[in-house]
Amino acid sequence: MNKLKLIIQHEYMTIVGKKSFIIMTILIPFLLILLMFFPILLKYINDKTDSSEMRVAVIDRSHNYGGAFKDNGRYRFELMEGDSMNKTYDIYKKAADRVDAIMVIPTDVLESQQVELFSEKTLDESTVMYLNQCLTDTLSKAKIASFHDPDLADKIAQSQVDVVIKSKKWNENGEEQEQSATIASVIGIVLAFLTYTFVLSYGAMIMNSVVEEKTNRIVEVIVSSCRPMELMMGKIIGVGLVGLTQFAIWVVLMGIAMGVLGFMGVGSDTASQASTVAMNMPETESTAASLMAAIAGINWFSLLGNFILYFVGGYLLYASLFAGFGSAVDQASDSSQFTMPIILIMMVALYAGIGCMSNPNGPMAVWCSIIPFTSPVVMMVRLPFDVPWWQLLLSIVLLFGTALGCIWLSARIYRTGILLYGKKRSFKEIIKWIR
Amino acid sequence: MNFIDVNSVVKQYDGHLALDHVDLHVPQGCIYGLLGPNGAGKTSLIRIINRITRADSGTVLLNGREMRQDDIANIGYLPEERGLYKKIKVADEIVYLARLKGMPKALAVSEMEKWLERFDLTEWRDRKVEELSKGMQQKVQFITTVIHRPQLLIFDEPFSGFDPVNAEQLKREIMQLRDEGATILFSTHNMASVEEICEQITLINHARVVLEGSVAHIKQQHKQNLFVVNVAGDEKVEPQQGLFDVVPSDDVRGTLIKLKAGVTLHDAIAHLNERHSLTGITEKLPSMNEIFIETVQNK
Repeated sequence: MNKLKLIIQHEYMTIVGKKSFIIMTILIPFLLILLMFFPILLKYINDKTDSSEMRVAVIDRSHNYGGAFKDNGRYRFELMEGDSMNKTYDIYKKAADRVDAIMVIPTDVLESQQVELFSEKTLDESTVMYLNQCLTDTLSKAKIASFHDPDLADKIAQSQVDVVIKSKKWNENGEEQEQSATIASVIGIVLAFLTYTFVLSYGAMIMNSVVEEKTNRIVEVIVSSCRPMELMMGKIIGVGLVGLTQFAIWVVLMGIAMGVLGFMGVGSDTASQASTVAMNMPETESTAASLMAAIAGINWFSLLGNFILYFVGGYLLYASLFAGFGSAVDQASDSSQFTMPIILIMMVALYAGIGCMSNPNGPMAVWCSIIPFTSPVVMMVRLPFDVPWWQLLLSIVLLFGTALGCIWLSARIYRTGILLYGKKRSFKEIIKWIR
Repeated sequence: MNFIDVNSVVKQYDGHLALDHVDLHVPQGCIYGLLGPNGAGKTSLIRIINRITRADSGTVLLNGREMRQDDIANIGYLPEERGLYKKIKVADEIVYLARLKGMPKALAVSEMEKWLERFDLTEWRDRKVEELSKGMQQKVQFITTVIHRPQLLIFDEPFSGFDPVNAEQLKREIMQLRDEGATILFSTHNMASVEEICEQITLINHARVVLEGSVAHIKQQHKQNLFVVNVAGDEKVEPQQGLFDVVPSDDVRGTLIKLKAGVTLHDAIAHLNERHSLTGITEKLPSMNEIFIETVQNK
């Protein structure tokens, strides 16, 4: 037992003491945030730098709606004469040096609601949308006008309905709490993704560490001092504690970030005040407030507790497999034949999790959250949606049972694998070692 | 009293017999050579003795009783394929491995300092292992093997990778450990070092013990009635029908003769004294190298 403690300590300190660990732990949240804003940033940069102007010629055979198009920084319009005798292509050819596309508005546009747009190059989506929007606005105004009712426009505007559903749920005391399916889904998928990334990256870390010990032959020295099982478990637990440490640091960082944001006045002071404030606030601000209220409505204690439970179970299961198979290879580069199947199963779990977002209590979600190989990821998606306790219990028992089974299997592979060098091993051979 | 008794140990891997009823008896306080060509089964036997693997059948006794798992704290093992964690500091590495062998931390630290001093490595204590030269890494590995003062030391090719100066220091250290009471099992191909430091040997070939006993005794057993004869002046010793042949040899000073069967040394000397003025005659015992090659090739 003392040796196990010593090995755990050694494995833990070797990773946590590295500069790269400290840097990555602090850097990763920022990288993630950057990644989230990257598309927005790209679009911003794209819009700023795209100075090319789109020139559209309009042949208005209705003689009514040619004025629907307004020039702006990106588009310039030009009315053009052209009767139906002339081919549009010929007209375009003559003006090709100053025109990129030609739009033809037919005489019966109000009834047919169709126009034609010609160009040599494929036009992008935003251009078509802009043209459509200009024309739709003008045409609907013309339609309204055609009824000769001066109040019609007002009536239509007033008859626009946009229903807002504020969903609330009762807590055990019957008090109302704001809830949001969207927020629950987002939290679920974030946790699922976190589990997926953690298990894979820390599993790979274990595998590398096993292969490294084998490659530089220290493993023979170590197993002459302790049992192979102690070494394997020490490694798995040590690296797992590193994962939890990293997670804890992120929770603290997140708490600090939230605190700073709160201090700067984003959202409201405390989440509990948020729901009362929400009722008196104008619409835009109340969205932010109800968001905060919905976040506050989630039972974070049980959510995080379960997350850690599943994280530990899933980690033990996969990490032991990584350790077992890692012991069967001599070089990290040979390991892919064994890691591929594990990664595939994890990916299935992640996609099942994403698939379950829309229906977190459907049969697929229920089954995948009970099967131990997918449950650590899929259950994360379901957790914010109040899973029946018996499903939770069954799933956790199965997960930990399977994890113990995998540890047992891997330990048997490991104790043989670490001492064998030379040729590549097949799955068949490894199964022989278990016996 | 034997410190280790390996009795009729059998080990099989995947249909390949690695050890076939092997016996090994190592007396307490002895430097014992475990010899054999590559693939003979030495490493398999060593791994069984330090409980890395189990024998399929047979027993290993330590000090007369069946070995237990906690006995490994009393063994120091230097494997042929050296291995250290490369990315951690020399001091941390030594202390970690010492503590794995059951040493309390404070003692491990103080012993580590002593050993580093002894091997002139003190200034390297806070460097990473990968920054050390190969020779220095070998020394660190040696320290990790002996720091917990085990009663049994198993060295697999301990001199490989050492320059002659360091090899000499290592040899002195091994001798001193023996003098302090440790029993040393020494696996090697280097027959010169066997002659120099081993008192007894066991030779394994094709999974079986083919030769065992004290080095002196084995040499006597394998002697081939060869003598180096020195005579005064430039006289040439000729072969003598019925008494001896002359064996051409470059590596002796004098003439190498081989006595015929049944001929005594006395007869040969009498004959030589008649013909020449004999200045010296010494028996040439076979080297362990010759015995090794002969034994392995004859099987």
